[in-house]
Amino acid sequence: MNFNTLLDIGQKELARQKKYQRRIFCCTSTACLSAGAGQVHTTLDQAVAACKCDEYEAEVVKTGCMGLCSDGPLVRVEEQEKDPILYGNINPDLAQHIVSRHVPLGELEEDTDSEEQDQSVTPHDIIHYRASLRRAQTKKDLDNNIISLDLPFFTKQVKVVLNETGRINPDKLEDYLAHGGYKALAHVLDKMTPEEVCNEILESDLRGRGGAGFPTGLKWNYVRQESAENKFVIVNGDEGDPGAYMDRTVMEDDPHRVLEGMMICAYAVGASYGYLYIRGEYPIAVDRIRKAIRAARQRKILGNSVLEKNFSFDADVRIGAGAFVCGEETALIHSVEGKRGMPRMRPPYPSKSGLWDAPTVINNVETMANVPSIINKGAEWYASIGTEKSKGTKVFALAGQLRNTGLIEVPMGITLREIVYDIGGGIPGDREFKAAQTGGPSGGCIPAEYLDSPVDYESLTKLGSIMGSGGLVIIDDSTNMPDFANFFMDFCVDESCGKCIPCRVGTVQIRKLLDKINAGEGKPEDLEKLDKLCQLVKKTSLCGLGQSAPNPVLSTMKYFQNEYDSLIQPSQTFEGGAS
Amino acid sequence: MHKNKDVEERDNLVELTIDGQKILTHPGMSVLEAALANDIDIPRLCYHPDLSVSGGCRLCIVNVEGYSNPTPSCGLSCENGMIIETQNTGLSQIRREIIDLFISEHPLDCVTCDKSGACLLQKYAYDFGIGKTSHEFEVSKPLYQDDNPFFIRDHQYCILCGRCVRVCDEVVGASAIDFSGRGFEAYIATPFDDPLLDTTCVFCGNCVQVCPTAALMPVSRRGNGREWELDRVKTICGYCGVGCQIEYAIKDGEILYAQSQPDAPVNGEFLCTKGRYGWDFVTDPERLTKPMVRRDLAYKLGLTSEPWELPEKSPLKIRKPKIDDSFVPVDWDTALNLVAGNLAKTVKEYGPDSIMGLASARCTNEENYLFQKFIRLGIGTNNLDHCARL
Amino acid sequence: MTIQNSNDEQTHPSGDERYSSIDRTMKQFEYEKDSLLEVLNAAQEVFGYLSRDLLIYISNQLNVPMSQVFGVATFYHMFTFEPQGEHNCIICKGTACHVKGADRIIEALSEEFSIAAGETTSDGLFSLTIARCLGSCGLAPVIVLDGQVYGKETPEAASMRAVEAVSRSKEKIAQSMEVG
Repeated sequence: MNFNTLLDIGQKELARQKKYQRRIFCCTSTACLSAGAGQVHTTLDQAVAACKCDEYEAEVVKTGCMGLCSDGPLVRVEEQEKDPILYGNINPDLAQHIVSRHVPLGELEEDTDSEEQDQSVTPHDIIHYRASLRRAQTKKDLDNNIISLDLPFFTKQVKVVLNETGRINPDKLEDYLAHGGYKALAHVLDKMTPEEVCNEILESDLRGRGGAGFPTGLKWNYVRQESAENKFVIVNGDEGDPGAYMDRTVMEDDPHRVLEGMMICAYAVGASYGYLYIRGEYPIAVDRIRKAIRAARQRKILGNSVLEKNFSFDADVRIGAGAFVCGEETALIHSVEGKRGMPRMRPPYPSKSGLWDAPTVINNVETMANVPSIINKGAEWYASIGTEKSKGTKVFALAGQLRNTGLIEVPMGITLREIVYDIGGGIPGDREFKAAQTGGPSGGCIPAEYLDSPVDYESLTKLGSIMGSGGLVIIDDSTNMPDFANFFMDFCVDESCGKCIPCRVGTVQIRKLLDKINAGEGKPEDLEKLDKLCQLVKKTSLCGLGQSAPNPVLSTMKYFQNEYDSLIQPSQTFEGGAS
Repeated sequence: MHKNKDVEERDNLVELTIDGQKILTHPGMSVLEAALANDIDIPRLCYHPDLSVSGGCRLCIVNVEGYSNPTPSCGLSCENGMIIETQNTGLSQIRREIIDLFISEHPLDCVTCDKSGACLLQKYAYDFGIGKTSHEFEVSKPLYQDDNPFFIRDHQYCILCGRCVRVCDEVVGASAIDFSGRGFEAYIATPFDDPLLDTTCVFCGNCVQVCPTAALMPVSRRGNGREWELDRVKTICGYCGVGCQIEYAIKDGEILYAQSQPDAPVNGEFLCTKGRYGWDFVTDPERLTKPMVRRDLAYKLGLTSEPWELPEKSPLKIRKPKIDDSFVPVDWDTALNLVAGNLAKTVKEYGPDSIMGLASARCTNEENYLFQKFIRLGIGTNNLDHCARL
Repeated sequence: MTIQNSNDEQTHPSGDERYSSIDRTMKQFEYEKDSLLEVLNAAQEVFGYLSRDLLIYISNQLNVPMSQVFGVATFYHMFTFEPQGEHNCIICKGTACHVKGADRIIEALSEEFSIAAGETTSDGLFSLTIARCLGSCGLAPVIVLDGQVYGKETPEAASMRAVEAVSRSKEKIAQSMEVG
């Protein structure tokens, strides 16, 4: 199947969609599903069916994340010639109200069997009855659930990776095609050499979104330049940071974008097989990616002679089983090879010797998802977003003590203040902002005095934190920082693979010290000891897990020294803890 | 390989500087190997020349010019122009702190420990002057496993260097043990923690050999002497034709344990279960030390005054049959004359093919060569075989 | 001894049909040693836990040394070696949930059932598990009891729900014992 055929399919789908007077989008991403979106979706389907309206009056669309997860389940109604309306905190009852508010009722068909007509009460009747009764109330009820799309939460975002998320049905390849899907892949196969593709990515200055920020184009070039019989592409979907679900959302809600990015990468580096390593705690993501692979294989997008060009590529899913350390490249490789996920020393880097000793590109899901847009709109366009050294956008999972929490995509260089107060809506209640935690267990806390810092790789590193994969937790003044640091250390102790002594024993000893300090039994020399031990673990650990495990401790000690000190001197007590 | 200082091929070599010394080596070598081959000692616990590289102990770290952090030299490939520093105050401080972490979960029982004097952890603690941990002491796995007659597994002394796992996997091929669990809770385990006797373990004891601490110790070793009190005797194993070199550790004429040295030409440090543990026959009081003649024949020849008596029970049913009952010691001349005479008589009466020679794997190649010459030329028959074919 | 089932569709000697599902997974991956993690994942899903027999079977079929199968199985936290309790309560310990007091919920349930996180009660009715992050941070703190998600949970509510669920099971058992 060549691309023209796919283009056709896409256009037909787009035309089909445009026929509808209104389309009701229901988020079915994990966060909304946990809040009951499954039932909401079913109710919407049933209610629309019960309206018995004309064929193109209404369509319920299963879609992905719309961003404002704190107000889920989310439903968006897009009507022709009207502004879209976003409804939040929807339950099955309110779902019915949405339908009755927006969807016109069709003509009731006369039943030929009069006996049956008397006895049966069709759902249509119920809706009709309810609708007429509640039309007066509905307007007021539902109004409380409307979320303005003019909120800075939405207007301050710039969508690249999340462009189709929340607008397409992730289970339908046609929907992806209707929104320009696989155009970049077709262009690359038709008009660009592998070297040109690598250079385009290099010029865009796209940097690894998994946290390390390594220039993607450079990595691709390394692998492209290796001469080997086999090469592999691995997409790292082992998003282990607690509170981070950017990659999960992209995999669940726009799986084909990830596949397309992966295939462009494979073409650029000369790989013929790829793996998507998805953590075991993401069953929905696994399911949707698998569905997408099957659909792509069916349409001959994956397989021999992709899009009828001289390029073969196939991909498969590999599932993790609960090990944060498997997010590290070499540990991930060992996991795919069916072994314990223990990292090994680098060099040799995976670009030289990776999966089964073959040159391998390992890129994060979000990194891969940027690629189709870069090819479609050009490196120059991408490089025009962001700062001098950090180009493009970044997806963050905004969480914690904020009014608005959820998934956002913002241009690099946006300030922390804009994220917290404009997008996040500020701290609820009468609490004060205390710190923004970035980078999860590998990152650090940024206090209020740096709220005007731009959010980019270099600035965050300079402040003692890291960009990380995108977890961004806002904490208010009710949080105790030494306890907060201990939470992350506890995580690292649990997740350490045990291979090297600094991480295996060092993190346990750091946690012991923090336990002691938090219990008020710490002595002044314990703080010095803590710092020294953190430096040792940071400097001598074998892999990134151990090397960055002390970051939360070091960063809280730097900015909240007084809280540590107050725990040491029993005369001053500090009120607080996990609220 | 790593011991060979003579560099034959001058092509494709790399030159690097280690501690101010210019060194020429093959590009595939690690900095650690290149250093050791040139008598530059770098501390190391998990590295072993015959095993794959791990990189977990972090002691072999070196400073590389241009690198921001100290790097483990066991995993660092030699490259042209590299400038390496293996010793300085900074590195010693880091190594001291690493040892500090090791001994925060390793009981310092050196006073009564049998490994004292041969323990690598003890050596480095001494070298870096750290005799007490500055951390809160906690043993990660206080498990003592004494489930077989050969060696004891005492996990409180295990430093998780992984040498035992690697040797079992890569050298022996039995793969009886592996890391289990994760992080601080990780330990070396058999499947389901089954007793070793129920696993694929062949009790070769190579894990005991390569263990740098007292985590793996031969049963025979326990409480029987300090390392420096023992005499070492090198010999060749008598069990099979490979002829591995064994070094017995001996105290007061008794063998305490068997090991081998890395420079042993045939086997290096590795032995099989027979060589490693099958030495109790050496000082067994019932070991033959003189030639012996069967009592009934000896009585007939007048070599003894006590005749052989038919035992009441079958000898097979007697648990420890007394050799004296059935055999009489004689001197070598008597024995050899008897054998030679009887052989000659048999050949004369029944022909050379009535004799068959059965050689033994416990003889050396030279002995077996002589033996077959004797049978073919001395006796004159080709009826010759070897116990290995049985 | 290896019992390679690459060509014929034999059932496992125990007759347990679930083994065919595992056989299919192994066949799909052509009995490659590298597929160990995928096979263990499938086994955990189908059987609910990895028993000794199951692991030995997988070791034989894939020709991977038993010590390595055991080593891999004990490395990954999603694998369990004992049957889960009839009722399973997962408590999220992600950052947002921690900050909103997940520890207190864990404490409450631990105390109520006298088990630590990761354990099952001796009567097999209740398991307490920790998840590192369920990704529903807007609903923090989150618990999942018997597959049902409860957001913005309190220690009291969680305790009450769990106790109710277990009591219902206890009642059923008592009733069936009366009848039987």
